[in-house]
Amino acid sequence: MSANTHSTVLKHHFGDLEQQHASERLGMWMFLATEVLFFGGLFGAYACYRLWYAAEFEYASSFMNLKFASINTVFLVTSSLTMTLAIRCAKLGDKAGLYRNLLLTFALGSAFMVLKGFEYAEDFHEHILPGTSSFGGEIKHDAEAQGLDTGKVRLFLCFYYIMTGIHGVHIIIGLGCILWLVQQTYANKIPPENYSTVEVVSLYWHLVDAIWLFLMPMLYLAGAHIHHVAH
Amino acid sequence: MSDPKTTPAATGEHDVLGHVDSPPTLLIVFVAILVLFAATVGISSSGMFGKYTLFVQLGIGSIQASLVGCYFMHLRHGDRVVILTALASIFWMGILFVLFMSDYMTRHRVIG
Repeated sequence: MSANTHSTVLKHHFGDLEQQHASERLGMWMFLATEVLFFGGLFGAYACYRLWYAAEFEYASSFMNLKFASINTVFLVTSSLTMTLAIRCAKLGDKAGLYRNLLLTFALGSAFMVLKGFEYAEDFHEHILPGTSSFGGEIKHDAEAQGLDTGKVRLFLCFYYIMTGIHGVHIIIGLGCILWLVQQTYANKIPPENYSTVEVVSLYWHLVDAIWLFLMPMLYLAGAHIHHVAH
Repeated sequence: MSDPKTTPAATGEHDVLGHVDSPPTLLIVFVAILVLFAATVGISSSGMFGKYTLFVQLGIGSIQASLVGCYFMHLRHGDRVVILTALASIFWMGILFVLFMSDYMTRHRVIG
């Protein structure tokens, strides 16, 4: 490690690099704790209504596109792997590997959002929407035929759009941070001593991935998906 | 344990990487998370747990999140204060759930 690199990476208010890295990690973890509580509120509200209106929630969930969501799960989990490999490359000073893994993570995250966009378009086309006037099509017709309360079905759809929407916003912010890391790598600002910059972004990215692992069964796997199989 | 001040500077790959797991370990964790995901889909489609499906799903989700936390987020080798922060966030969410659910899940007893 050259004295020059050391001095540009180490901020003046830290004793040494180890202390700086530990502080950066702790800072991000403190933020992640607030994120857990933020999503915890949504999970709590969902759990309550899922238990209250089990039949309607399971019915509405069966209209969600499980195929798209499953592919998206694979995209996100794979992106978490490539992000962790990026930290390894950063630590080893493997700039080409760092680029490759960051760009792979970015591509997988973008693919997630693109697929999500197609999914929303399909939902819109099939009138799987929570608004009183926009809600319609097969989901409404079948719910009425089965004697289910359409208001409660629409409540599930509110959860679906709010939860996936907020999660999507988190993904977009994460993608922005990864692009920034790519730029920093290009500008030679991520030497091995500064690997924690990649690690801090990766912590955020993994949390967003972990939240999806809960959203996936809650939104897509509450019902038996007999409706989508039928048509 | 040797005195760090007298230990020669770290030059080996292992020393440089510190708490980052090796690619084969990460790959195993990656496959495990996907296998658990497949299990969630299987359990939900078969309906074998009936009304307890949600709890089984959330249980599997928690195992998946633990794997992400321990290996991808390096909690396995994390500083104590970081582990404490992670556990505190779960503990606080526990308080949120217990107070929240003890209200909403008992309301019908008063109303109806």
